[in-house]
Amino acid sequence: MTATPTLALEVLRAPRVHRADAAFVVSLGVVALMTLAAVFAPWIAPYDPDQVDLSAVYSGPTAAHWLGTDALGRDLLSRMIFGARTALLGPLIVVVSSTILGILLGLLAGWRGGWIDAVLGRVFDVVFAFPALLIAIMAVALFGKGLVAPVIAMSIAYAPFVARLTRSLVTSERSRPYVSAYRVQGFSGGWIATRRVLPNVTPIVGAQSTLNFGYVLAELAALSFLGLGVQAPTADWGAMINEAQAGLLGGHFLPAIVPAVAVVIVVVAVNVIGEEVSDRIGGGIPA
Amino acid sequence: MTLLDISDYTLDLPDGTRLLDGVSLTVAVGETVGLVGESGSGKSLTARSVLGMQPRGATTGGSVRLDGREVLGAPAGDLLAVRRSSAGMVFQDPRAGINPMRTIGDHLTETLRLVDGRSKSDAEARAVELLRAVRLPRPEDHLRQYPHELSGGMLQRVMIAGALTSSPRLLICDEPTTALDVTTQAEIISVLGEQRATRGMGMLFITHDLNLAASICDRVYVMNAGRVEEEGDARRVFRNPQAAYTRRLVAATPTIASIGPLGPVVIGEATDAASAPRSVVELPRAVDAEAPMLDVRSIAKTYHLHGKPPVRAVVDASIEIPLGSALAVVGESGSGKSTLARMIVGLESADTGEILVDGVVRTAMPRRRAERLAHSRSVQMVFQDPYLSLDPRISAGRAIEDTLRLHSTLTSRDARTRVLDLLEQVGLGERHATAVPRTLSGGQRQRVAIARALAVEPDVLVMDEATSALDVSVQAQVLDLVAGIRRERGLTVLFISHDLAVVRRVCEQTVVMRSGEIVERGATATLLERPRHPYTRLLLDSVPRPDWDLDALAAIDRTEGVPA
Repeated sequence: MTATPTLALEVLRAPRVHRADAAFVVSLGVVALMTLAAVFAPWIAPYDPDQVDLSAVYSGPTAAHWLGTDALGRDLLSRMIFGARTALLGPLIVVVSSTILGILLGLLAGWRGGWIDAVLGRVFDVVFAFPALLIAIMAVALFGKGLVAPVIAMSIAYAPFVARLTRSLVTSERSRPYVSAYRVQGFSGGWIATRRVLPNVTPIVGAQSTLNFGYVLAELAALSFLGLGVQAPTADWGAMINEAQAGLLGGHFLPAIVPAVAVVIVVVAVNVIGEEVSDRIGGGIPA
Repeated sequence: MTLLDISDYTLDLPDGTRLLDGVSLTVAVGETVGLVGESGSGKSLTARSVLGMQPRGATTGGSVRLDGREVLGAPAGDLLAVRRSSAGMVFQDPRAGINPMRTIGDHLTETLRLVDGRSKSDAEARAVELLRAVRLPRPEDHLRQYPHELSGGMLQRVMIAGALTSSPRLLICDEPTTALDVTTQAEIISVLGEQRATRGMGMLFITHDLNLAASICDRVYVMNAGRVEEEGDARRVFRNPQAAYTRRLVAATPTIASIGPLGPVVIGEATDAASAPRSVVELPRAVDAEAPMLDVRSIAKTYHLHGKPPVRAVVDASIEIPLGSALAVVGESGSGKSTLARMIVGLESADTGEILVDGVVRTAMPRRRAERLAHSRSVQMVFQDPYLSLDPRISAGRAIEDTLRLHSTLTSRDARTRVLDLLEQVGLGERHATAVPRTLSGGQRQRVAIARALAVEPDVLVMDEATSALDVSVQAQVLDLVAGIRRERGLTVLFISHDLAVVRRVCEQTVVMRSGEIVERGATATLLERPRHPYTRLLLDSVPRPDWDLDALAAIDRTEGVPA
């Protein structure tokens, strides 16, 4: 009887699996916590986020204000909780709409091929040439400050990523025998594309799209930081960092660092989740 | 002298699944031993174990001794030594085993330079020698070619040359000819036999093809579900199988029954009535000889690719199939037989010529809804690979129901009754209706594909290599099913195949295609017994059978100039 030394391999392999799972679970926890905070903000937040209290400016962490207050004496924790709303809502809208737009364009390009594919491909190239942030800034310049114009602009800027992936999946799917089988049975091309091929590629594309969430979140925060996105006095993480700049010189770090760290943590968490999900669904297609 | 001695070898996966259960086999010096079985029987696993390639985490028991040395549990360094000097291996798919970015020369000289420490010119001289040994026509030129420039058969010879670089004492061949055409298979087999004889190697030959094993092996081991079911002299096992499993396998294996002057080789027909060639199909209706059900009149198709000479896939092909009859189109890969099928079902358009089904012109690819439905009601198709021709997300019942409801205005309840009806006709039940393809076996999937094709009650059924991806026993079941359906409904069948033995079992008429042209046509039995065209004769001679004369075949190869 010969025992192969495979038990050791099993043991070596085990912790890695657990680590990946742990990061995934923690990330899920972070995003769940943030979502709860966003949804139930008015009930959770200890103060009105816009309530100015000039008697308690830059209080630092106290029993009354766990994270301290800002230059106007507004409670930092409450502003963080309310800020989670715009931080989540913007990227969510961008990801959902860019995915829908991208899938439709990608399906059109991949299924029809020919000149439609060629034209759409060049259009994607042009959009790719501009950074999403730049497109968002141009939208602000044209349509004014606020969240609406940048969100629409970024939905368009991110659609080509989704469209390219969809196109390549649809192209390979189209050449499979099951599609020929549908044709032989008499189904129309449109029916096969929308009712059969589309549902087969959507899970993979959807999983890949979740990876965009983090980038969009960071970029929208950057836009607000530049003063082009969410406008004061609405609580928003990017805008909060901007407002807290003056305080940094006076040694008041918390009002700037807390939202900055929050952005980093959430972006990392969202990326971990996105990668894990696309690994499980998409079979590891790189982004 | 015993070269390889596997005794009471067991292999378990970490989850407790026993994949190999007490396998024992021996290979002597200079002996060719066949390892025969269907997919999942453990034949490849057994052979790979000789080179220490067990699945990760497997627990093994028993012993595998090569040249007197124990391989199981041997340290990695010893295993490398075994692979370097004692045993070589040739795999099924040559294209998967070679780096497409490097030349044939790189592939062959790498081991010679790195392991044997030969100089570059010395290694190249040796590589040329090896390429000449496997009968490649221009060894010096091939060294500078890339894998994509060679055909599958040529590349498999390169892989054999690669396995021979280390002058192994045992050559393990894992289905080395399964992916190749029958004439190419014959060439590869003859190269392998020649090398085994001149080098005095032992050879362990893994195959699912009993005919092939009986043709080239001294002894065979028949494996099923991780056990050796039977062992013995190759021809004895083939002609007079003892174990119940082997008897079933032999009965299910189609043969060309009788060929040329060699006289009939009757195999296993007495044991199983189902294996008898069903050349006579009784029809419920009288055959109308005047108007053929499928009438293809001199169609042609040429593909124009960018920067390459045009490919004439089908040249002036005409076929007629009377109502209720079955016609086989036989040919090797690239003969245009699949293009012909795709034109008939409307997946491709013909450049010239006409296709009539039941007297109605069906030449053009259907565009509008009415055309599409009419075309699909006249011709249906069953595809080669049931793993790819079913939508992975759609259950068997749903797939059939979709087709039914496209073609009729059945209520969903009526449609469901009809679905169960159809599934029953192909030997499946209610529980299969909700199953997605992933959970069905290959044979079950092909049954679903057949049921779906029959759902629209087509005039003609085209089967494009419909059984070539299946194990022989499953293939026999599917062929019987098709024969049964033909008896009941008088279905007209166009059967595309590369396998002459299968054709004999299914079709009354056969046409032989080569490079897009039909070179011979006639009644199947006559054509197989008295082939007139030299290409038909070559095809027939290339089919493995127990009294195979490979030297004579090699002579034909060279004189006829078979296209690569």
